[in-house]
Amino acid sequence: MRATPAWLRVAAGLGAFAVVAFIGLALVGSRDPQAALDGFGLVMVAAIPAGVAIYALVEYRQTGRLDSITRQFGTRTLVLMPVAIALDIVLGSAVASALKIPVYLDSLGTVLVAVLAGPLAGAATGFLSNLLWTYLAPAPFASPYAAPFAVVAVVVGLLAGTFARWGWLRPRPGTSGRRLLVGGGLAVAAMALMALVALRVWLAGAEGGDLAPSADETAFTILGWVAMLLVAGTGLGLLVLLLRQRDLAAAYILAAGVITGVSAAFVAAPIAAGLFGGVTGSGADFVIAALRQAGADLQQAVLGQSLISDPVDKVVTYFLVYLILGAMATRTKARFPQGPHLVPLTDEKVDDAPGVRED
Amino acid sequence: MTRPVFARTESTAASRWHGLDPLTRLVVALGTMIAALLLGGVVCLAALGILAVLLPTAMAHELRPVLRLAVLLALPLGVSAVLINVLFSPGTTSEGAWLAAVVVLRIVIMAGATVLFYRTTIPADLVGSLQHHGLSNRITFVIHNAVAMIPRLAERAREVTAAQRARGFDSEAGLLRRGRGIIALAAPTVLGAVAEVEARTLALETRAFTRPGRVTVLRPPHDSNLQRAGRWSIVVGLVALVIARVTGLLPC
Amino acid sequence: MLNLRAVSYRYAGARRECLHGIDLDLVEGAVTGLVGPAEAGKSSLCLVAGGLAPRVVGGHLSGQVGIDGASVADWPMYRLAEEVTTAVQDPAGQLSLIGQSVAEEVALGPANLGLPRGEIEARTAWALAVTGIEALAERDPLRLSGGQQQLVVLAGLLAMRPRHLVLDEPLAHLDAGGAKVVLDAVRAAADAGAAVLLAEQRTDELARVADTVLLMSAGNIVAGGAPREILSHPTAHALGVAEPAGAALRRRLRAAGFDPDLVEVDA
Repeated sequence: MRATPAWLRVAAGLGAFAVVAFIGLALVGSRDPQAALDGFGLVMVAAIPAGVAIYALVEYRQTGRLDSITRQFGTRTLVLMPVAIALDIVLGSAVASALKIPVYLDSLGTVLVAVLAGPLAGAATGFLSNLLWTYLAPAPFASPYAAPFAVVAVVVGLLAGTFARWGWLRPRPGTSGRRLLVGGGLAVAAMALMALVALRVWLAGAEGGDLAPSADETAFTILGWVAMLLVAGTGLGLLVLLLRQRDLAAAYILAAGVITGVSAAFVAAPIAAGLFGGVTGSGADFVIAALRQAGADLQQAVLGQSLISDPVDKVVTYFLVYLILGAMATRTKARFPQGPHLVPLTDEKVDDAPGVRED
Repeated sequence: MTRPVFARTESTAASRWHGLDPLTRLVVALGTMIAALLLGGVVCLAALGILAVLLPTAMAHELRPVLRLAVLLALPLGVSAVLINVLFSPGTTSEGAWLAAVVVLRIVIMAGATVLFYRTTIPADLVGSLQHHGLSNRITFVIHNAVAMIPRLAERAREVTAAQRARGFDSEAGLLRRGRGIIALAAPTVLGAVAEVEARTLALETRAFTRPGRVTVLRPPHDSNLQRAGRWSIVVGLVALVIARVTGLLPC
Repeated sequence: MLNLRAVSYRYAGARRECLHGIDLDLVEGAVTGLVGPAEAGKSSLCLVAGGLAPRVVGGHLSGQVGIDGASVADWPMYRLAEEVTTAVQDPAGQLSLIGQSVAEEVALGPANLGLPRGEIEARTAWALAVTGIEALAERDPLRLSGGQQQLVVLAGLLAMRPRHLVLDEPLAHLDAGGAKVVLDAVRAAADAGAAVLLAEQRTDELARVADTVLLMSAGNIVAGGAPREILSHPTAHALGVAEPAGAALRRRLRAAGFDPDLVEVDA
């Protein structure tokens, strides 16, 4: 049997992505570096499919099939995706209209699919969420601004699926002292830092220091409150995980959220700045205005705002997904392609793990 | 027994625009969106707006509702754009105003194209058209089901809202308790939706959902050679626009 | 004919098997009932017979599943779907949500098979007639009651014209009238040549339509035979299977010294 190392095709895909991105940025930025930043989104649109295509090609040459891709799109995944897309759109719409703190909460579904089914499935979910949000969502939910950010959702999906595959969302209760201390300590420090910076900037940007959610439709207002409580609750919840359940997964969740958030910020900021003049119609706008008053130019202000909001948004999202996974039965998770990566490691494989016998 | 009828006939279409193949309408909407993102100056954007949004909207007899909705959608962003670029910008005022105008125009065009599309298109018809043109039934299922799921999820959210109000949401109950109450009600909504996934997966598979090959389209679109030519022209035009923008040849 | 030989099955993520060495023959034109207490394995057996286990739900299957003597082990689900269709519990969950109307929902299966439009319309009309829901043809499936949705699901399966039909507690959300409609549809399908496996708790109704009844307990088939015989058996009662009212009446008549055949009872 021919050797079919997975790392080889992943490396090939990443390599192709890097090459196309480099050439694209060089082409677009050849006139001035400002244009390079503007065109970043466009370059991603070319580079990501190129990476995926090369990955698929290498796999086909290796195995004659595309199993690692088709596995992620079985019927179960296809049935979950619409639920996830609806979640993204409904929650995202409510938050956008009702919340004054600049978090989006519009990738909960994307991350859920990515974690359960795989990076490509997550990427596809994010992509479709943004497109449908603009083109097919019914009246109170439609948003013309979502579609150009589809490439950001693709990045989020790819990262979330990869982290899940690496076991970052695996519950690790009862972690031993030293590892818990190191991991937990870092996590708490990071959270404190993020909270301090975020609160200072958000309060500076908010009207009269009022961060309470409000909107015309009551359902949106209440969902706005839900979102705000989720943000506050996440910090609390991560601490509970660390201290009470000694679950190191809290640190992994934080790491995943921050990395995903920072990546998303770098991809989204040029799009927001270049296409919309930095305007997003959410609480973020006042932050951007405040940053500009402080002397930053448009690009810097948008990037600055994103670098504060996106990590917070993504940490909350990952934490919620972790909670949802915790509420799902093992046998339900086991039926999804990445299920084995989402259950605690025991001596036996998931196949033999104790479960409930069904009728 | 009467035979069931699955699709609308041409005669029931509300206008020429409504009678077009949904794929054509989609290409126009997407094309307008992309063009709005690529074009720069006020003049070019205004021309795009008239050609790609106002004309089809008039053809569809939807001028009033589309314009009203488009402006409504664009308003919050428009206000923010002015705030950020004019009032708070450290640069010159006229520069900021120009930028704000471009941003506002772009947003209005995108909103208009979007609103026109979903006001004149039934998702089931769009799905039928995509299937007719060869798109796999898996993708069309996801799109169609997602659109169907949105109001369902929102309705469940409203039920949560009503239940919360019945429990006295507006009262002075502690933030933490209120939060826990909401989450306790919201959780079954999400988990219930996830639980349905299993039954639906089985029901689809037992009806040969994964069968390779063409699915019979129950709602075939009314396509024509003229529409086909139109769609391809838009695609070619967009490619030209991208090249022009990237190489700096674009005057706008 | 669908056969199971020495079939054992374990769910993914489960430690123990839920089915042990099952032998089963589903003969065309006959309705086979399946009774047993909760956790006996009725639903699992339905999933295995329908091919959904292990193909769609994963898990580990040992033994032989065959149609007309040929093993179907390497048949993909869509190929098997032309031979056997399955209804699981939860009617609303089985709606595809992409059918704009009941008629479109029912037509989904034949459309997936790529049949010509005329054939699809004919099959849909037939399925709607057999289940008695022609009046609901243009309605939105989501706005129907649980019982009506149950009938829509059944019609959707019948429109596939399968040679084997597996139904897991289809009478769950129905009143007596609705149950009669389903049972008549099941009988009509069997008379048209289909082999039906019908798992049910409502033994009264089951006794009316089943040709044979199998009793399950703890993952095994412990008894099989004529409905009257099995459903009145003390083993069945010991396992908690409800005795049909007709059979109970006959038993009491016999115990009181009367000849039960003097009285015409439905079951």
